[in-house]
Amino acid sequence: MTVSLKNRKLPTQAIGAKIFHWINIISILIMLTSGLQIYNANPVFGGRAGLHIPAIFTLGGWLAGGRHWHFAAMWLFSLNLLWYGIYVLIARRWRSRFVGVNDLKALQKSHNPKRLTYAWHRIVYTSIIPILLLAVFTGIGMYKPAQFYWIVDMFGDWQALRIVHFATVPIVILFTIVHFILGRKAGGVELTESMFW
Amino acid sequence: MNMNLYKHQITRRQLLQSGLTGVSLLLGGCGTPLFEDLVGKISEPLNQKFEGLIFQPEKPVPEFSVNEIEPEALIVNSYRYNPIIDTTRYRLVVDGEVNNPLNISMAEIQTLPLTEMIIRHVCVEGWAAIVQWGGVRLQDIIALAQPKSSVKYAYFKSADGYYSSWDIASVLHPQTILAYQKNGQTLPIENGAPLRLASPIKLGYKQSKWVTQITLVSYLSPFRGYWEDQGYEWFAGL
Repeated sequence: MTVSLKNRKLPTQAIGAKIFHWINIISILIMLTSGLQIYNANPVFGGRAGLHIPAIFTLGGWLAGGRHWHFAAMWLFSLNLLWYGIYVLIARRWRSRFVGVNDLKALQKSHNPKRLTYAWHRIVYTSIIPILLLAVFTGIGMYKPAQFYWIVDMFGDWQALRIVHFATVPIVILFTIVHFILGRKAGGVELTESMFW
Repeated sequence: MNMNLYKHQITRRQLLQSGLTGVSLLLGGCGTPLFEDLVGKISEPLNQKFEGLIFQPEKPVPEFSVNEIEPEALIVNSYRYNPIIDTTRYRLVVDGEVNNPLNISMAEIQTLPLTEMIIRHVCVEGWAAIVQWGGVRLQDIIALAQPKSSVKYAYFKSADGYYSSWDIASVLHPQTILAYQKNGQTLPIENGAPLRLASPIKLGYKQSKWVTQITLVSYLSPFRGYWEDQGYEWFAGL
């Protein structure tokens, strides 16, 4: 076992994927914590009488501070997503690095646990991309509801838009945990580390 | 009002009055501000440039129908007290860089064309309410005062001491009105009677209640608004 580990080729990642992961993890952390600070001014569920997020999870100290952090980090977060999207298209990474028909086939036919983990992992990290885009899209609707009134209309009303925007928070947290666990199962600590260093 | 709308500041007096000084300081230390004022000072001018760039000053925001009005959703946020104003003695002053300063009564204001709109009122806190406002277009009042070409901003002063300032393009937007009606009825005192700002293109804290003076100027003083001076965004456009 130790011999095979030593001889195993260490996973390597494209520099683009590393940069994306670094900026994404930092900007999402700022967006989540400052977003929860804004949430506390008038909780989505229950308004002022609703449950407030404990201060330890918030960033900004007060509503204006939360907004400053949120509207600064939104550029970092969304532009990072934008260039990475362009990169994925140009470098044709979408063909080999994201979920494909072969993964779905493997889930039906394969009995190799490694292959199954690999397939599930690709499904999970591919499906977070539309969620991140949804966070940006609903965010634009809440930031500029007069100019992008059609975004608000698409979700029915203001409260529905708020709920969808907020729902991206637990989804992203849950994703991070699952992504971490599946990454470990698929390639161990070497795989996780290869994405950052 | 909601605690977290205000910057967390503990005075010496509060500190001494508090029996649980250590605990409250510890709790106050959570939810870190982490240079939020610095972040705002760097990002806000850039965001404001971007906001000004995408703002369409002539374009009306689509309105709602009468059955979509949410009378219960509009929360009353006032920073001090409700000033009781005798409507018969009320005067609106329009001054500053104008050729024809105004000092007009409610009766005179109500002879101007009535504009009604059903819009979404969006609060900085995150909630929103669909409200019907009725009143005069601010651009009609401004036109009467004959502003000089140098004018770039408007200051709004209120009877309770509240103040705010706007960019002139937003002031002249066709849906920026001085309202004296809410949901088809005379404007209630707590909503800003006799006259308040109403507009779909600015956050609620820009929509001053109990407006008594409009000053048109070519520059902003260090005092830009009650909430703005504490750290909230000045442009606050929607």
